[in-house]
Amino acid sequence: MDPSHIRNFSVIAHIDHGKSTLADRFLEITGALQAREMEAQVLDAMDLERERGITIKAHPVCLHYTATDGQKYVLNLIDTPGHVDFSYEVTRSLAACEGALLLVDASQGVEAQTLANAYLAVENNLEIIPVINKIDLPGAQPEECRRQISDIIGLDGEHALLASAKMGTGVHEILEAIVHRLPPPAGIPDAPLKALIFDSWYDPYRGVVIVVRVIDGLLTPGMKIRLMAEGQDYESLSVGIFTPKAIEVDSLAVGEVGFLVANIKKISDAKIGDTITEVSRPALEPFPGFKPLKPMVFAGFYPVEGHEYPELRDALEKLRLNDASFFYEPETSVALGFGFRCGFLGLLHMEIVQERLEREFDMDLVTTAPGVLYRVTTTDGKVQEIDSPAKLPDTGRIEKIEEPVITAMVLTPAEHVGGILKLCQDKRGVQKTLEYLSSSRVLITYELPFNEVVLDFYDKLKTISRGYASLDYHVTGYWESPLVKLDILVNGDPVDALSIIVHRDSAYERGRALASKMRELIPRQMFEVAIQAAIGGRIIARETVSAMRKNVLAKCYGGDISRKRKLLEKQKEGKKRMKRVGKVEIPQEAFLAVLKMGTDTES
Amino acid sequence: MHPAPRTQHSAPLGLYIHIPFCSAICNYCNFNRGLFDADLKTRYVDALVTEIGRVGRAGGAGREEADTIFFGGGTPSLLEPDEIARIIATCDASFDVAADREVTLEANPETVTEARLAAFRRAGVNRLSFGVQSFKDEELRRLSRLHSAGRARDAAGEARAAGFENVSLDLMMWLPEQRVADWLASVDAAIALAPDHLSLYLLEIYPNAPLKDDMARARWSQAPDADAAAMYLESLDRLDAAGYEQYEISNVARPGRRSRHNLKYWTDGEWLGFGCGAHSTRDGVRWKNVASTEDYADRIARGESTAVDARRLGPDERLGDALFTGLRLVDGIDGDAIQRRYGVDVWRRFGPDLERFLEAGCLRREGARLGLTRRGMLLANEVMSVFV
Repeated sequence: MDPSHIRNFSVIAHIDHGKSTLADRFLEITGALQAREMEAQVLDAMDLERERGITIKAHPVCLHYTATDGQKYVLNLIDTPGHVDFSYEVTRSLAACEGALLLVDASQGVEAQTLANAYLAVENNLEIIPVINKIDLPGAQPEECRRQISDIIGLDGEHALLASAKMGTGVHEILEAIVHRLPPPAGIPDAPLKALIFDSWYDPYRGVVIVVRVIDGLLTPGMKIRLMAEGQDYESLSVGIFTPKAIEVDSLAVGEVGFLVANIKKISDAKIGDTITEVSRPALEPFPGFKPLKPMVFAGFYPVEGHEYPELRDALEKLRLNDASFFYEPETSVALGFGFRCGFLGLLHMEIVQERLEREFDMDLVTTAPGVLYRVTTTDGKVQEIDSPAKLPDTGRIEKIEEPVITAMVLTPAEHVGGILKLCQDKRGVQKTLEYLSSSRVLITYELPFNEVVLDFYDKLKTISRGYASLDYHVTGYWESPLVKLDILVNGDPVDALSIIVHRDSAYERGRALASKMRELIPRQMFEVAIQAAIGGRIIARETVSAMRKNVLAKCYGGDISRKRKLLEKQKEGKKRMKRVGKVEIPQEAFLAVLKMGTDTES
Repeated sequence: MHPAPRTQHSAPLGLYIHIPFCSAICNYCNFNRGLFDADLKTRYVDALVTEIGRVGRAGGAGREEADTIFFGGGTPSLLEPDEIARIIATCDASFDVAADREVTLEANPETVTEARLAAFRRAGVNRLSFGVQSFKDEELRRLSRLHSAGRARDAAGEARAAGFENVSLDLMMWLPEQRVADWLASVDAAIALAPDHLSLYLLEIYPNAPLKDDMARARWSQAPDADAAAMYLESLDRLDAAGYEQYEISNVARPGRRSRHNLKYWTDGEWLGFGCGAHSTRDGVRWKNVASTEDYADRIARGESTAVDARRLGPDERLGDALFTGLRLVDGIDGDAIQRRYGVDVWRRFGPDLERFLEAGCLRREGARLGLTRRGMLLANEVMSVFV
């Protein structure tokens, strides 16, 4: 295909602003819908994504479109993940495009996520076509949206297209704009091969399937290829495109988007953002922007039943076949036994992995409180990264601790500004900017310790703004902080899995709140249970769960043993969800008590 | 090792007969009962007699051995002595009931006189179990009971005068507004009457019990758990001192006066239940009769089966039931007997889960025997749930 007749584009949109509906309209108009229906399961394969309304990422789709000028075009629609946890993948998807549609809900206006991704698109030199969607809704304010697009994002709002993907209004105009307003790919056909990997997954029959955008040169089956970042060589077995059905083709040329199957066994060998070149005629430089994915959020995963450790290991191994972005390594906890320290791109990513383990692999898990990656300099001058409170060196050996910092963009209706500023201050934030984008919309930019955001920032933000504020953030650096390890002792023994790293100034309050929450969560046992919070061996809070005094059934009338058994079974079922630490039975949710503290103590 | 095959009906059966009628419905009661209705009662007694006869004949040529009959309710003392006599006669005709049988009648103090009790005695009843619950009138009123403490005392005396040598009293602790001292006063009052047997239960308030509403309306509350535990432990101390032996979590008796019928429930025995909602256990199968009195009588009249929810227990369930019921007994579980009957070494199978109860002083292990301590009895469910 002549590159001048190719357009590669993404759709940037906030959740629920109509991206999927618009994509369906494109498929319908270009005749791909029937095929899509067949492939519906493949395109949207993960239940979890559908339930949460987040598409982590769908296949790119190759649309054949005959424009009003009579020319045939190939439009490659490249999906982008919809959550901040996956923002690196967003940049790689955008890098595979020349342009993007910026989809804004006519009644909701610009949201933080839209803004953040629009900035990413601009940074990647993409041509952006603003589209105001859902103009059929009674609350639609297209003029206000135009103004926001101009004022907030700095794009040309006047020429934004108006559409209702649901009704089909304006969809043709969007397709025409893609053809006429977006530039064709500019690559060199006879240069050495350079193809950008922007997605990959594991297929049990074919091994790793890589999705690429050819930047320069030609990719053909049978070619000896090299993944430049890894330096590994493979043989290309087949290449093809998604119509959306996967169809093999003879080659992928400059500007084209499609899949590649080589004899790659592990998804971790085909890293997103890596560049593929030809072994016999390698490119001098890879396509810029590759970063190895680094987990940002860490938590311990333990089987409730210790003997299920091998099953958990197998399950993690299998999950990793499909998701190279999470990391795990064996970890031993005094309290919880054998388990794994797992690293994730973010909290949502962690929840997804956790739910998949529970749902697809039927694992019963104890998850410890999530934390971030701290940088600790010890007195001997060594710097180490700490992904678990248990690994924190003794206080005496610590020279300094640095914690990751994010830059957060919060876009909110003006009436919630006060509450949000207070929240950001409470969370040890440093204000960067506060802009009234209009009389009713405010953009607040803060630097915040990532750890605070991991704990409960987002939930609180949503509560304070009654769901109206939107958040986007990126880790932008580290700062030094007086951090301490807060330990929880149960009947005098520290429970390593309950330790958290907190700021010295809030340690006392956190410790008290945590001990109090633990008292609520730990049921009465056969003996008194003391719960203490301690910093460096000094007890700062104590709570007591008094001993259970009675749990006995009255008479078993007239020989109704079955009823009695049922009651006992019910009781036992309740205990199954608990982990025995020493002699104390601790419910699963207690290990995440730190996440729930705010709900009662601060409201 | 094979589980030893069980000899068919190795021990005599217990016969349970349910009488679902009451003069008034107590606000805490969750048993299968309804208001007294003379016509329905007559029809019901006919149905009982038919059912007992039918089940007895189904046993085959030789009549099966039984050694206890227990009239439970409801309020069985609302039946006329001749009705009781007819039912016992039917039991004798249908089963080989031992000469040294135990025949218990549950009775409410307000339903009896000395003459009436004497008539029950003549009908063949040799054990009375009075639903006294409390010797404080105020507490009885809160429970919507129809009798007074005085009537309960008199009834106990009338029972002796009528010739009963085996009398049991039921008492309930942890009643609304009851303090530890109140409860102990009732226990002392009971001891003063010198019954042969006493049952002591903690009141359980079911989610939909009218008592719950009464309590909310009158702002009555139950004492804290620690007080409930104290009630239990202190009353048992007093009963020990008065010469009663505790033999089960909720039951004490003078030597030789343990309830032979109820012991079948706790010793992996077998029993047949007759009447609406009555439970039966036999040959590893548990079932019950339909709950509705009318439905039951209709089915019997039509010659239909009354059994519902029949379930054959699997080996693990039989073992588990034998263990948790056995643990209700002060003597506890006899590991050797379990080994012989089920081919299972209790400690080997459950030891790891039971160890902590030993440590906590809830359980004692003496040779092959495993039993609850008194403190452990209050936490019986914790221990028992290991076996299910």
